[in-house]
Amino acid sequence: MNKVKCTPLAALLLAALISGCAGNVKLATPTIPSPLTDKIPISVGLRMPANFDYFVHEESVFGREEWTINLGNSNASLFKQLFGHMFDRVTLVGANDDPSLMDIDALVEPSIDAFEFSTPGQSKTDSFAVWIRYRLKVFDQAGTLVSNWPVSAYGKSQTTAMNKSDALHRAAILAMRDAAALMIIKFDEVTGIGKLGRPAPAASTPVAMPISDAVDGDAVQSHALEESPDDAS
Amino acid sequence: MMHPDRTPKILAGMMAIVAFSGCTTSTVQDVRRGDTGIGDGEAIVIMGKSYHLGNETESKYIQCVEDAIAQGREGLRVIPRKEFVDSLFPWFEPRTAPAETKNLAKLMTRPGVAEKIAEQNIRYIVWLAGDTEKVAGGGSMSCAAGPGGGGCFGFAWWQKDADYDASVWDLNGLESAGTVSTDVSGKSFMPALVIPLPFIARTQAKACHTLADQLHSFITDEETI
Repeated sequence: MNKVKCTPLAALLLAALISGCAGNVKLATPTIPSPLTDKIPISVGLRMPANFDYFVHEESVFGREEWTINLGNSNASLFKQLFGHMFDRVTLVGANDDPSLMDIDALVEPSIDAFEFSTPGQSKTDSFAVWIRYRLKVFDQAGTLVSNWPVSAYGKSQTTAMNKSDALHRAAILAMRDAAALMIIKFDEVTGIGKLGRPAPAASTPVAMPISDAVDGDAVQSHALEESPDDAS
Repeated sequence: MMHPDRTPKILAGMMAIVAFSGCTTSTVQDVRRGDTGIGDGEAIVIMGKSYHLGNETESKYIQCVEDAIAQGREGLRVIPRKEFVDSLFPWFEPRTAPAETKNLAKLMTRPGVAEKIAEQNIRYIVWLAGDTEKVAGGGSMSCAAGPGGGGCFGFAWWQKDADYDASVWDLNGLESAGTVSTDVSGKSFMPALVIPLPFIARTQAKACHTLADQLHSFITDEETI
């Protein structure tokens, strides 16, 4: 009888001991607010690697703490939202799709070069910090690589007394948001993707156009006359 | 009306709070560079300076100042910083937020920025910088437990310093209205004779309320230079 009573208690103690040395973080889908910038007036294809749907980072910190950070599909969600905000039209391109057969001006292939973090114990502060280095490859309509841009993003969040995982979660979300801000502001300037847009067809030429484009037609014309977003202040 | 039976308990509680608090000393000062004052319906935003610039201001401190300056009959209208930052994305992110007032004019020319600020009727942005740090400590305490019970013996103390600055940016003239700063030092003690008795100095809370009070006066007093 005693054995039956002790087993759950022992299990709880064991769980408490384990939780003191390990952390599991599962990222929620980040929300990227609609930016106060003009869209880049081109149609892009977005081809994401398979790990954008299930990215998991595992790390042992000095052999004492084990951390598992499950980004799930948050990267895929980030880029879908971001590109939707940044470009006039975005087409998702599958791994086996041939982009040359698609009605796009440019193809963008994002990937993750590195994911790193530091714990309060390492930094001697009460904060978690996360670094993510994305790489963005931009191809023109002919499939030629025109830009290869590494984007380094950083997020930092203070721990609370009770929950270290929350702070790491916030730091990771902030790093993704930092990447989004940098891409929105610098994408066109660094990669020159805006110049890859095809010249607009003559007005007399009948062209099949998606409904969304037809609605935004006036805006597209006016964007083309404006200068690109400037540097951040 | 207070129930007579409760009076001794409330007094005892108040004495306990006083007795169990460590001691703090504080200074607060402001430097005015421009005219201030705030109209009906005008709002302020309390932000932390960016960690990209090495600032370590704690989120809970920013929240405390936000709450303190908004509360009371004469509380100011404070726009929650997350709401403000989201509405102006991506221009007030840690990487992109303007570091100096001279960058405000250019920021206001970006599409939608001036309109969003006008829509929320924001008059001032307050940038907080600084943090609370443990600067000294000493003493020793040991605790032991056995089958018959346990206890602690010894004496420990520590000192924390809270230094914070608030830079007030006036969005009417796109210039700095001045700065308010506070410096609070708090010493905490913990003697233990079987049971530890903590006398904790609420250094950060004191720095929060001192700064919020001064900031409120700084903004609402219609002073001219």
